[in-house]
Amino acid sequence: MNKYILTKRQVVNELSTFYSFLLGFLIALMIGSIILLIQDKNPFDTFSLMFKLSIGSVNSLSSSLNKATPLILAGLGIAIINTVKLWNIGAEGQIFMGAIAVNLIYINFQLTNSTSFIFVLLVSAFIGGAFCILIPAITKVLFGVNEIITTLLTNYIVIGLTIYLVNGPWKDPGSLNFPAAAYVGKEVYLPTIFGKLSYGFLICILFTVFAHYLKNSSVFGYEMRIAGGSEMTAIYAGINAKQKAFFAMLIGGGFAGLAGGVELLSQTHRVSTGISQGFGYTAIIVAAITGMRPIGIFLVGSLFGALSIGGSVIQTIGVSTYIADIIQASTLFGALVIQFFFNYKLKRADDG
Amino acid sequence: MNNKFLETRNVTKTFGKLKALDDVNFNLYQGKIHGLLGENGAGKSSLMNILSGIYQPDKGSIYLDGEKQKILNPDFASKLGIGMVHQEFRLVESFSIKDNLTLSKSNIYKNDFLKSFKKYSEIFALNVNENEIISNLSVGEKQKIEIMKLIFNDSRIMLLDEPTAVLTPQETSQLKNSLVTLAQEDMKTMVLITHKLKEIKEFTEIVSVMKNGKMVAQDLPTKDVTDNQLIELMMGTVKTSTVNKDNEVGKIKLNVENINYTDSVNNIKKLEDINFQVKAGEILGLAGVSGNGQVELANIISGIERIYEGKIIIDNTDVSSKGVRSRKKLNLSYIPENRLGVGLAPGVSVIDNSIVKDYFHTKLGPHLSRNKTSNYLESLIKQFSIKAPNPKAEISTLSGGNMQKLLMGRELVGDPDVIIASQPTRGLDVNAVDAIHNLLIDQRNKGSAIFLISEDLDELFKLSHRLLVIFEGKIVKSFNTVDADINDVGLAMAGVNE
Ligand SMILES: Nc1ncnc2c1ncn2[C@@H]1O[C@H](COP(=O)(O)OP(=O)(O)OP(=O)(O)O)[C@@H](O)[C@H]1O
Ligand SMILES: [Mg+2]
Repeated sequence: MNKYILTKRQVVNELSTFYSFLLGFLIALMIGSIILLIQDKNPFDTFSLMFKLSIGSVNSLSSSLNKATPLILAGLGIAIINTVKLWNIGAEGQIFMGAIAVNLIYINFQLTNSTSFIFVLLVSAFIGGAFCILIPAITKVLFGVNEIITTLLTNYIVIGLTIYLVNGPWKDPGSLNFPAAAYVGKEVYLPTIFGKLSYGFLICILFTVFAHYLKNSSVFGYEMRIAGGSEMTAIYAGINAKQKAFFAMLIGGGFAGLAGGVELLSQTHRVSTGISQGFGYTAIIVAAITGMRPIGIFLVGSLFGALSIGGSVIQTIGVSTYIADIIQASTLFGALVIQFFFNYKLKRADDG
Repeated sequence: MNNKFLETRNVTKTFGKLKALDDVNFNLYQGKIHGLLGENGAGKSSLMNILSGIYQPDKGSIYLDGEKQKILNPDFASKLGIGMVHQEFRLVESFSIKDNLTLSKSNIYKNDFLKSFKKYSEIFALNVNENEIISNLSVGEKQKIEIMKLIFNDSRIMLLDEPTAVLTPQETSQLKNSLVTLAQEDMKTMVLITHKLKEIKEFTEIVSVMKNGKMVAQDLPTKDVTDNQLIELMMGTVKTSTVNKDNEVGKIKLNVENINYTDSVNNIKKLEDINFQVKAGEILGLAGVSGNGQVELANIISGIERIYEGKIIIDNTDVSSKGVRSRKKLNLSYIPENRLGVGLAPGVSVIDNSIVKDYFHTKLGPHLSRNKTSNYLESLIKQFSIKAPNPKAEISTLSGGNMQKLLMGRELVGDPDVIIASQPTRGLDVNAVDAIHNLLIDQRNKGSAIFLISEDLDELFKLSHRLLVIFEGKIVKSFNTVDADINDVGLAMAGVNE
C-alpha cells in the first residue's frame, strides 16, 4: 500500500518558530504584493514608503513603538495564559476594562503626587483586566466551561458597557456629539522618554522581562507547564492544577488590562470606543506566531506596530490601510503552515 | 459436537514487533455460549476485533458456515451477522436509548421498535423508557443496551468483551439468565470474555484459552474441565526465575489499615478492609487481574485519592489526611501504572518531566535555573542509563523503556523509604524489564520498602518476598513467595476460593 501518513518529528529545530515567522512574513509580503499589483500599485514603492514612514525617523519610530505597546502587553497576557494550555480571546475586552478602571479611579480619587497617582492608576488597570477575566476563570476551574467562548463573550459585554458609560454617566458634554468620557488631567499623562516615545514602552519592556521569567524560570511557570500538560500529572505531583489555571488567567487578564491603562494614559487620554483598535485580537496573532514566547512577542509586536503605522500613512498615496491587516493576518497563516512542516513529516505508511 | 458455525484458521496479527495473535484457530458453534479465557494481554480482544472487522489479520482466514469470508470492516461483519460489545462503552451518551438502538443501518426493528424493545427489556429485566438519555443510565443498564444493540442489528454472533467487568454480582447473575435465554430461544451464538472462572462455569458450554497470543486450548467442554486445569492453561509453565531474597528486612515502613473506598461517581465499593504492612528491605507483591481495585489502592497510598476510610501510616507517621506533598516529604515514591498521562506529562519537555518529584525542594528552587535542572537531568541520565538526547524535546519522543527509566530514576533517586510501583514493566521489552527489575532490587537492598503491583505473575514471583491477591477490591489470599504455588495464586486471582 502506498499510503502516506503524517508523523510527528522526534526533534524539532529550536529556531523553527523563528524561521516559520520569517517565511510566513515573506509569504505575506508576496500576498500583499499581488493585491497591490491588482490595484495597479507598485509593491516595492509602497513597501518602501511604509518602511520609511514607520521607522524612518525618530518620530515615526516612536509612533510605531507606542502602537506596539498595547499589542505586546496583551500578547504577553495571552502567552501566560497559554502556559496552562488555555486560550484568552478576551484581551480586547480586558483592554477596555483596564481603561474603564483607570477612569473610575481617576474620577473618584485624587492624589497630589502625580507619579504615585499614575502608579495607582496603572495598578487599577491591571486589576480591571484581571476582574474582566474573573468569571471565565471561575467557570473554567469550577465547571470546565470552555474559556474560548466565555472570554470571547466578555468582549461584547465590556464593549457594551463602554458604550453605555460614554453615552451615559461618563459622557463629556464638551465632546459635543462624539460619545466619549472627559479627558483625564495632564498631571496623569504618561511622560515621554524622547520624541513621542511614551514611558508606556518602558513598562512594556519591563513586563516582557517579567513574563519571560515567569513563564520560563519561575517555579510558578513550571507548575503551570505541568498543569497544562496533564492535569493528572499535576495532581500526582501535588500541584493544584485548577489553582494554577485560575491565577494564570487573572495575571494574563491583568496584562491586557494594563495595556488599556497605558493606552489611555499615553495616547487617547480618555475613555471612548476608540481605546482599542482591535489590539486584543491582533495580540492573539502576535502570540500565536511566536509560539507564545515573550521575547518573540516583543519583537513581532514591535513589527506589527510599525506595520499599522506604515499602513495608516500610505493612505496618502491611495492605498487602503487594510493592506497592513492583510499582511499581519497572512503572516500568521503562513507561519502556522510552515510550522506544521517543522513539526510533522510525511512518511510512507508501510515503512514502519 | 455439531458443525462449526464460525471458524478462524491460522490467524496472525502483529502490532509493530509485538505478535498479538500467533497462528490462532478458534471455533464457534451455533446457539452456544463460548468462554474465552486468558491473562491480560493474551490477545482476546484482538481476536474479537478481527472477527468484527475492526482489525485486519496479517495472515489466516475466517470461515462462516464453511464459506471463506473476507471481513474488511465492521460493516461487512455486521452484514454477516457478527457484532461486538467492546470492553469500553460505545454508546452515544447524549442520545436516547431508542436512537442508540436504531442508529445502525443494519438495524431490523425500525418499524416495530416498541414491540421488540418491550420483548427484550423483559429478557434483560430492563426497566427504563426507550426515550431515556443514555447518560442518565446506570453502568449496568448501559451494558444491557450495548448487548441489545447487537440484537437490534440482527447479529447472530455476539462477541462480548468482558461485559461483566463493570457489573455487580447481582447484575451478573441477571445477565447470565438473559444470555442463556437468548442462546436458547433466538439461537444466538455468543463469546464471553471474562477473567472470572465462576462466570465461565456458569455461563458457558465450551471454553477456549489463550496465552501470549496463542490459542493453548480449544473447544473444551466447560462441565468437564476443572478450575485447576484452566488456571494451568492460562498461566502456562512459569519460568519462576528468582532473585536472592535473603537480604536484611527491617522495621515496618508502610502500614495500611482498614482501607475502605467507594467510588463516589458510580457509588460502587472499590476497596474493602485492606490491611497490610511492608518492611524496610521487603518487596510485597500485589497480584490481581487489572481493574480489581489496584489503581484505587495505589492512589490512596500515594495521597492522590483523599476521600476514603482507614489509615495510611508511613514510617510511624499517620498521613491519612495528608496530601501528596507531605507524603513525598516522608520520602514516599509512587511509580503510577499510567506512565504517560499521570507519571509523565505529555506535551511537556523531557527536562520538565525529569524534575516533577524534586522541583520544589530548595536544591532546585525557587528559581528553576537552567543549570541546576540540566545538571539534575544529566545525573539521572547517567545513573540510570537513559537515552534522551534532547532535553528540550517532548517527553513522548522517548521510547517506552526510556520513558519508564526516566520515571523510575526520578522516583528512586533520593533513596525513598517507601516505593509504590504499579505495573512497572508493562509493555517493555526484555532488556528494559531486566533493567527495571535490577533497579527495584538495588533499591530493596538499600532498605526501601517496596509495594509492587503487577499483573505479571512471573515478575511477582521473581521479585517479591510475599504476595497478596486482590479480587473485587478485597485481599482474598496471601502467600509466602518461596512456597507458593503459582496455580493457587492464579485461582485466587480468578475469584476461586476453595
Ligand atoms: N491497536 C493496538 N496497537 C498496538 N498494540 C496493541 C493494539 N491492540 C492490542 N495491542 C497489544 O496486543 C496485545 C494483546 O492485546 P489484547 O487487547 O488483545 O489483550 P486482551 O487479552 O484483551 O487483554 P485484557 O484482558 O487486558 O483485555 C497486548 O500486548 C496489547 O498491548
Ligand atoms: Mg481485552
